[in-house]
Amino acid sequence: MILSLDGEGYAIPIDRVAEITVPREMRRNGDLTEVFEGRVEFRGKWMPVLNLRKLFKLSGAPGSVLLIVKTGKGDIGMLVDAVTEILDTDKKPLPMPRAVLNPSLPYYHGIFRHKGNLVLLLNEDGLL
Amino acid sequence: MTAGYLLFLLTGRIFGAELRGAVEIMPWRQARRVPLSYSYVEGLIDYRGVIYPVFNLFQRLSLKPLEPIGFIAEGPAQPAAPQSIILLEENKMLFGITVDSVVKMAKIDELSPVPQQTRGLDPQYIKGMAYDDNQEIIILDFERLLFHAG
Repeated sequence: MILSLDGEGYAIPIDRVAEITVPREMRRNGDLTEVFEGRVEFRGKWMPVLNLRKLFKLSGAPGSVLLIVKTGKGDIGMLVDAVTEILDTDKKPLPMPRAVLNPSLPYYHGIFRHKGNLVLLLNEDGLL
Repeated sequence: MTAGYLLFLLTGRIFGAELRGAVEIMPWRQARRVPLSYSYVEGLIDYRGVIYPVFNLFQRLSLKPLEPIGFIAEGPAQPAAPQSIILLEENKMLFGITVDSVVKMAKIDELSPVPQQTRGLDPQYIKGMAYDDNQEIIILDFERLLFHAG
């Protein structure tokens, strides 16, 4: 699934997305770092909501689409600008070039070429 | 040993990059940004089947614009926005750098040692110096500068 943030595309495996919805009432209780907007209830469970813009140090208001994403560290909410399309591909992502990111911070699984643009494949387990 | 170099300007200094493989020069463009990358990474450029990381050389070298000589400038000098991107190959690494402008290609016979006074540049990133028409040229060690960080 391709989502957009500040005009650029990111991908997340669709089998990791439990729900695409609109932001709902959030509970803030101060125990989360500032990249989280609060917690939302989804299917009877409260989960932290990551503001992806803030994590990525992009300016502007939090996104208007809420994704519920299954990660290796539990389900989280994720605020993004929009979901743009579903990409069905057998291609393996291309590796991120060396020397771009600190190797100890695995935020991406790689890169897809898509319609003349580069789409970054998020590592949903590495974002937390 | 004579080698070919591409000379370029950055903040009034002339730098040189040894030409070992393919080289491309293109007008500056916004690269595809990579959030949470190193601060001096401008992003990625997909060019002729290769995804190049593009590094902002001004930021990587922590350069300051040179002080004007002989007159008093109005306010602090601001770095000019980079005008060009050079895509280079060094030790099989493909990468891009942003520069103020490209000067020319030059043949250089031998590099001179790095002087004591490097005007705010970290000497570990300098391979050597060269002189062309009495102009000082700083030859950078890109492998050390870009691929040994972090």
